[in-house]
Amino acid sequence: MRFGFVALAAVLMLAPLIAGGFLLYSLSLCLANALAVLSVSVLVRYGGEVSIGHGFFVAVGAYTVAIMEHQLGLSVLAGAPVAVVLGGIAGFVFAFPSRRLSGIYFAVATMALALALPEILIGFEKITGGFEGLYIALDLIPGVSKAVQRYYVDLAVLGLACLALAQFRHSRQGMALLMARAQPRAAEAMGITISWARISIFTLSAALASLAGALLGFSSSTVSPNSFTFWTGVFLLVGSVVSLNGLSLPAALVGGAFITLVPTYLAQAGDWVPILYGIALIAVTLIANAGDLRRFLPGGRR
Amino acid sequence: MPVAQPLVADKVSLAFGGLQVLTDVSMTLQPGIVTGLIGPNGAGKTSLFNCLTGLYHSQRGDISFAGKALQGLGPAERAALGIARSFQNLALCPDLTVLENVLVGLTLTRRGGWFSAFVPTAGRRAEQAESGRRAMAALTELGIAASAHQMPSELPPGTLRLAEIARAIVSEPNAILLDEPAAGLNAVETQDLMCALQRLMRPDLVLLIVEHDMDLIMQLCQHIYVLNFGKMIASGTPDEIRAHPDVISIYLGDDADD
Repeated sequence: MRFGFVALAAVLMLAPLIAGGFLLYSLSLCLANALAVLSVSVLVRYGGEVSIGHGFFVAVGAYTVAIMEHQLGLSVLAGAPVAVVLGGIAGFVFAFPSRRLSGIYFAVATMALALALPEILIGFEKITGGFEGLYIALDLIPGVSKAVQRYYVDLAVLGLACLALAQFRHSRQGMALLMARAQPRAAEAMGITISWARISIFTLSAALASLAGALLGFSSSTVSPNSFTFWTGVFLLVGSVVSLNGLSLPAALVGGAFITLVPTYLAQAGDWVPILYGIALIAVTLIANAGDLRRFLPGGRR
Repeated sequence: MPVAQPLVADKVSLAFGGLQVLTDVSMTLQPGIVTGLIGPNGAGKTSLFNCLTGLYHSQRGDISFAGKALQGLGPAERAALGIARSFQNLALCPDLTVLENVLVGLTLTRRGGWFSAFVPTAGRRAEQAESGRRAMAALTELGIAASAHQMPSELPPGTLRLAEIARAIVSEPNAILLDEPAAGLNAVETQDLMCALQRLMRPDLVLLIVEHDMDLIMQLCQHIYVLNFGKMIASGTPDEIRAHPDVISIYLGDDADD
């Protein structure tokens, strides 16, 4: 286990030495998407809810970075923290009125976010750049090649996020959320308010998605309505399912790689891409009630 | 310093639609003694229990604890007033170890903001160690410390039941309400539970046990209430209850259960 982790870390650290050009660019996107997938998995694991609207929060993060660069001339270093805060606020604003919804009703409510997203991006043309979108050009680390710094920034943030989530599992809040999800009545009897739990986890998940969006904007150098559509949230959910809703670095990487590389490298396969997603989505439907794949796994834990 | 105050239910009535579940039920749970609540299946014990813990809200009547009216307060708010409960059906989280399940019982007493939820600060580590020590002490009290790091799915129901009671007592609440704590326990475990509950007793603690196991109730409780068809039919010391004609007819008559 430990050896495997060291090996994975070494491969991730050394990848830019071997890979270059388009492959390295794709790998950076994999890392950013892995974080976005992780945000959906956090919601599934700790909240027991499925969101198909997380593309909205990813877009909040990406556009925050782009708009801050265009309006204020600030790089992703300033943009990413602001993105986290704005994503969290957006998540809270959505979660508060939705706090009594659960299951399919909650998922449908998140669909509203996904449907509204393109309209908002095009509607606020003056600051979002409309159909054409915005470019993100500023470097984080001056003097380092764009491809390399994109990769390492994404890797560092993803790694830190996974470490922070591992800590969260053993924190007061993390355990309270797990209890609220599995045994809501017992949780209430211990003073854990269910609305608090539902709002907290969604806010946290949205903030994480927004951070992922900041990385995604930084790594792809561009944000536009083409990159954030209704389907963005659906793909993130597919990625989360493919990673078995895992919160570890390897699981997130599997999910991120799936939703990044499958469309890229199977582009010539054309019609097969939606079919692959379709198969993954059938899996979602089958487990929708449980919101959790772990019970199908040997050992049933982690 | 907590003041010894009773938990009082005054003429509580509860109906689900047209079904009258509780009718003018009154009881006073005095601190410092173990109070028992018995009655046949369907008598309304759990309904009354749920009224006390805030899961149900009675249509009429008042419930107060330490002089504070509890009407309108939900389970989480009552928990904040120091009322802890256990569940008849096991209500442990399957994703947490036994120790972690007990730790959740300390949620209200634990500090630590959102920053320390993600970053292992020194303050968080100290707090975690302290909470862990308290949770471990509660598990030791109930004799299941050896199972602390196991998952609920790996343990027999008896141990899980004790773990749930450990979770209810870990925060050292002012009132502990136990819903059939001995259900699913074998004779040895029941004996351990009884000893643990006796050790737990403090002069300022309100302790209510809803139970089917008559031996346990008679040995443990100093005051017993008997509920039947949603009405309180008797209350008194174990000896008085044993001699009460209505209780005898319920428990020894043709309706005898268990």
